[in-house]
Amino acid sequence: MATYGQINAENITSSTGGVISPNITSLRNRIINGAMVIDQRDAGASVTITNTSAGTYVLDRWQGYGTVASKFSIQQNAGSVTPPTGYINYLGVTSASAYSVGSTDRFQVAQAIEGFNIADLAWGTANAKTVTLSFWVYSSLTGSFGGSLGNQAGNYQYPFSYSIPVANTWTQINVTITGATSGTWLTTNGVGVYVLFGLGVGSSLSGTAGAWTTSTVYVPTGSVSVVGTSGATFYVTGVQLEVGAQATSFDFRPYGTELALCQRYYWSPVLGTNLSSYVGIVNSTTSGLPIIPHPVVMRASPTATYSGTFSFDDGAIGTSTTSVTTNASSPNTIRPYFTGFSPTLTAGRCLTLTSGGTIAISAEL
Amino acid sequence: MYKLINDFLTNKTSGVLRSIDNACIPFASDNTDYQQFKKELANGVELKDAEGNEMTPEQITTFLETLP
Repeated sequence: MATYGQINAENITSSTGGVISPNITSLRNRIINGAMVIDQRDAGASVTITNTSAGTYVLDRWQGYGTVASKFSIQQNAGSVTPPTGYINYLGVTSASAYSVGSTDRFQVAQAIEGFNIADLAWGTANAKTVTLSFWVYSSLTGSFGGSLGNQAGNYQYPFSYSIPVANTWTQINVTITGATSGTWLTTNGVGVYVLFGLGVGSSLSGTAGAWTTSTVYVPTGSVSVVGTSGATFYVTGVQLEVGAQATSFDFRPYGTELALCQRYYWSPVLGTNLSSYVGIVNSTTSGLPIIPHPVVMRASPTATYSGTFSFDDGAIGTSTTSVTTNASSPNTIRPYFTGFSPTLTAGRCLTLTSGGTIAISAEL
Repeated sequence: MYKLINDFLTNKTSGVLRSIDNACIPFASDNTDYQQFKKELANGVELKDAEGNEMTPEQITTFLETLP
């Protein structure tokens, strides 16, 4: 029987100096949709960030937030510039006005990484692993920009700065961050780590770069405010957070893999004309319950938001309705309860959801 | 503003409807919309029962104690 050896190495360096990552088949990049390819909600449309009480999800897994409404918008490929070589998409921020940021204001784009996906970092212990955040960035502004990594509770954060020396030119940024040996870091289906890019943060929420802090600090003091200049742009793509002190090449995953990773948090069934994918039971002449399985197991029992007119048949008669609530929701399926069928159907028959409206299914962090 | 949803079979409360966007939110402790609903309830947001009647603060307090 042949005997096989074993390589125990964190990194393998090629003869030309490039780092070959040994874990190429795993989730090397902890960021999902780092190349900004998936945009299930908006399909490339611009979204103005108006909600000041919670983040607004835009491109998959990415959320925009501002303490004041309507100061910036986010759009996949905003401005239609050429992305860095190898990329076809980027997340584009455009400032809506020249807003003077107040001391407690905060404008940002961020991704919450699920705790399960950072559990191996051992953060909050003496064995905490160093990570490297890398990304491509392009802005109409120049100077020292800021961002941070932080925990779910917002009480352990690491502000980092990076420089954009030339306007309207893609710049690649690498930031190495020593693992957090303290703080509470969830390793569950809750928020493990926030990765945040500041777009304008007030002085009370700014601090020292390059060190972990228990203060509520989102960016280094003096970071560029994108929302401070009307029409200013900030584009980012190729965002990667990985274990180790060196940035490796971006982990381009297959489109289907990236989409499935996104659908753990959000998806929307395609209810095209005569698409009979979802069946259930006509439980009364005016109501029925189709079962909609999720394409992947979702992070949590999801919220479902329904809009439009949904069409059905019972094998003999077609009907439609706009009245619906969720009867049951689990990480595996949802069962909507449609009422008000007109014309009526025959109770006890099989129900087929043939076309319709829109169902947005969300288990976001 | 929120409105409770009753299960059609058991007639027991099974979720809540968020009026601003008609989102149906399950009572699942790791659902972030549900977490937000509980926070807003504690801060006095308006809640209607499944029949559409506005619930009193006392009724809401009692209801909160039954939630996961």
